[in-house]
Amino acid sequence: MNQADVSKLVSKLRVKVLPRHRNLPGPKGPEGRIDKLRKTVTGLIKFERIELNYNRADEARQYAERLISEAIRHGDCHKPTMDTADFWLLEKELVHKLFKVLVPRYESTNLSYTRLYNAPRPQYGRSLDKVVLELRGNPYPDLLNNKSNNRLLIQNVLLDAAKNEYRQTKIAEMAKNIGKVGATQNTDSKINEAHEKPNIS
Amino acid sequence: MIPRFTHVLQLMKNVERNLFHMFGYHPPKELALAYVHEKKPVAIPKKFSLKDIVGDGFLLAVPKFRRTIEKKLKRKFGTPEYVWKMLVPKNDIKVCQTCGHHHEKRRLCENCYTKIKKETEEIQGQIKEKLGINPIEHDVVVLYKGETLPDQPKEFWKGKRIIEMKKERPQWFSKNLLEKTTQQPSKSTDVKPTDLA
Repeated sequence: MNQADVSKLVSKLRVKVLPRHRNLPGPKGPEGRIDKLRKTVTGLIKFERIELNYNRADEARQYAERLISEAIRHGDCHKPTMDTADFWLLEKELVHKLFKVLVPRYESTNLSYTRLYNAPRPQYGRSLDKVVLELRGNPYPDLLNNKSNNRLLIQNVLLDAAKNEYRQTKIAEMAKNIGKVGATQNTDSKINEAHEKPNIS
Repeated sequence: MIPRFTHVLQLMKNVERNLFHMFGYHPPKELALAYVHEKKPVAIPKKFSLKDIVGDGFLLAVPKFRRTIEKKLKRKFGTPEYVWKMLVPKNDIKVCQTCGHHHEKRRLCENCYTKIKKETEEIQGQIKEKLGINPIEHDVVVLYKGETLPDQPKEFWKGKRIIEMKKERPQWFSKNLLEKTTQQPSKSTDVKPTDLA
């Protein structure tokens, strides 16, 4: 019972972590693997959006998440965290970026700090699966801009205009028939039908 | 009786012939068999070599054994569980909600992605150019040509690096229909022909 709570010793990552690491085989062995991951983490922090092979991206993503979460937890006055940052970031000006830009950016979020998208595969030929790895809140255009529910999408604008026009004609018709008994009820139901037409989604 | 007599006769004939032989009475030489002595060289058995058959030509490899029907079919069509070589329809193609091109399910649309990738690389280049060798201490805000900072309190903009792109914001559809689009109107002076046919 006199044990430390493990969940408080290590930052819980907000991405899925596989039960076993990937070896990322190469002539240099495990050392080479760490070298590759350091390069990738550095690139990710530097450019905020990179495209690379799935295995390496997924592996590097976990280390980047861990690095950022440690930086948020302990701040820049904590020696071990600083050493970790120094180890993982090969370009030393990025240590400043980590503590001065990324920590404020992600302090109050409860989402993961990075995102991983599957990049399109070439139609012909064989190739490894590519992915796009990016930091959240980057200044680049959004990769998933699904605007189907956006009222400013051209289809929605046109549909709205068509609906409006239909409604106007119906109202004009109604105004014409005002006073005539029995005609008003019919037009009312038609207007209701027009209202129920949904947007494209 | 007669066989015994002929046998005795035969014996006597043999004896007579042998006696004549002993004393040098041979049959005349003209009746002798002609014999020519000839010493043939002994043929050394030659080793078999393909060159004798092929000469200047060449041989192609040929199968030694017949391939069984099962193996033939496996080679031709594969195995459904492992490698199935037949053409099978792909059911995970979706239509992009943004541009209408087709893309694989759970993957980015290629058309949109190439567009965004190009833009991203431009912004990255601009950031790198603007920053130089200074330490990265501020977040980046990207502004295009003719754009102003959005409405935010002044503290929000304090310590932000503003990167200005030297072109207009790429927009395939602007917010307001009356607003100027980024695409320039056509300047072509081609006149559509009339009175044809």
